[in-house]
Amino acid sequence: MPWLVFSAGKQSAPEPLEKMTMQELFFYDANCCLGLPMNGGNYAPDAAALLQEMDYYGVGKALVRHLNLDPAGAVQTNADLAKMLRADHSGRLLGAWCILPSQCDEIPPPEQFFASFKENRIAAITLSPFAHRYVPCRLTLGKILDAAAERKVPVLLNAFAGRWAELYDFMAAFPNLTTIYQEAVGKWGSDRNIRPLLENYPGFYFETAGYWVPEGIRDLAEKYGAGRIVYGSGFPRYNHGNGMLQLRHSGLPQESVAQIAGGNLSALLERAQL
Amino acid sequence: MSIWTKQGSLAEKFWQHGNAGFPIYDMHGHMGSHNAIYFKRAEAAEMVAHLLRAGIRRLVFSHHHVLFSAAFRNQQVWEICRSFPDTLRMYVGINPHYPEIIKEDLAQFEQWRPYAVGLKILAGYHLINVTDQRYEYALQFANERRLPVLFHTWGGRGGYNDGPSMLTLAQKYPGITFFIGHSLFGDWEYTEKIIKETPDNCYLELTAIPGELGYIERMVELVGSTRIIYGTDMPWFDEFQGLGGVLSAKISDTDIKNILCDNVERLLGQDW
Ligand SMILES: [Zn+2]
Repeated sequence: MPWLVFSAGKQSAPEPLEKMTMQELFFYDANCCLGLPMNGGNYAPDAAALLQEMDYYGVGKALVRHLNLDPAGAVQTNADLAKMLRADHSGRLLGAWCILPSQCDEIPPPEQFFASFKENRIAAITLSPFAHRYVPCRLTLGKILDAAAERKVPVLLNAFAGRWAELYDFMAAFPNLTTIYQEAVGKWGSDRNIRPLLENYPGFYFETAGYWVPEGIRDLAEKYGAGRIVYGSGFPRYNHGNGMLQLRHSGLPQESVAQIAGGNLSALLERAQL
Repeated sequence: MSIWTKQGSLAEKFWQHGNAGFPIYDMHGHMGSHNAIYFKRAEAAEMVAHLLRAGIRRLVFSHHHVLFSAAFRNQQVWEICRSFPDTLRMYVGINPHYPEIIKEDLAQFEQWRPYAVGLKILAGYHLINVTDQRYEYALQFANERRLPVLFHTWGGRGGYNDGPSMLTLAQKYPGITFFIGHSLFGDWEYTEKIIKETPDNCYLELTAIPGELGYIERMVELVGSTRIIYGTDMPWFDEFQGLGGVLSAKISDTDIKNILCDNVERLLGQDW
């Protein structure tokens, strides 16, 4: 690079780059939505369209939520998500179903609910208390989330993106859950809020979509362990590729990059007792 | 085969080597700590280390402290640039609430070259519309010298730097090269107008856009890749995330190189 001129003593040459081929890295997207949105915008209408997009960037698998979860509600979108997953024969997509307060019986009791996961290719749960208008606490969700904690089923915290006070209350109420915080809102680095959660809750995992702090992934991994971070795209707001290059050149060793790219999420989903 | 493995493509080169052998110009940066965000890499030395890893030849920045606190002066930023002469260039930050400071600082502009490249106007934060007379001294100054001025802009109407205000200004000052920071994010009508209804003096700047699905593709379709320049708000956003977002857009490698390098070299040359 002849245009990189270094003044004596002032700038140092970049560190040598570790070789990392795409073949050696398996990407598993932890933050990805499928289905038609109520009010238009970006979307993948079905599994085939999503897989085509993932292939363009080389993403191997995805854990998907329903894009229209907030306006259409859990009951309708859980059924629709399962239907879309049934049409996918690649085995590369797994789903997350949305929960609701137990007292209204819209979602089956925990035993029955979790027993139906495998046949529907569901591997995680999500919740949207603010759109679905209830308080996310022990009174409303205690039964279902205690059962999730016991089975180590990951809980996606996409609804809490940027809602720090509510997230802090939620984590205090359910400290033993396996949770994945999903960013993908705004673009202001949120380390002041993320780090206390990573420090205090061993089951709290951080997903990378929209987390654009320079070399921030590396800093979090060095402080809390690469095992606590999972790659996510934030599709369809974001494309899959930008975060892949960010992670590949995060400055972390290949082993850590591989963990974050897909290893950690695979392990979390495998250890769930479903 | 993914974009990262397509032989000979820019994406493949960036994946393998972190660069593609041509210089990259990041035309929208900052520096210094921030009230609401923790930045581990906000000072010159660590910023430059990150920039060099990503093959950034020049970062043109306005210092947070100049923009957010009138006590910190552009002179201090010039001194920082002098310590990293191969990488850092500055926009002289303009705070419309302090007309005396503007005059004092612009009186030194010529001495601050080549580090001082242009001006930065952050109307949305200073709460004075870009068309207000309190910017006139600085804008006349830039107009006479044909300087680039980076404006913070955003979509929506009625703000301090919205599409209609920017269009008025760009038509009024044909000598200024307008860098439309954040490309009037989300305002597609004026994204197109600001390029098509001005005398070839506007460039759309990408900070906060790379990675947004389909966004760069639509910009290229509307105005062409020769009117788009790259930026990251560094130290806000990771260079590899920004580059990844440009490389992930479904546009040609020629478009990508225009955005990352060629447009700026056509405007400012290579020797600045
Ligand atoms: Zn900025």
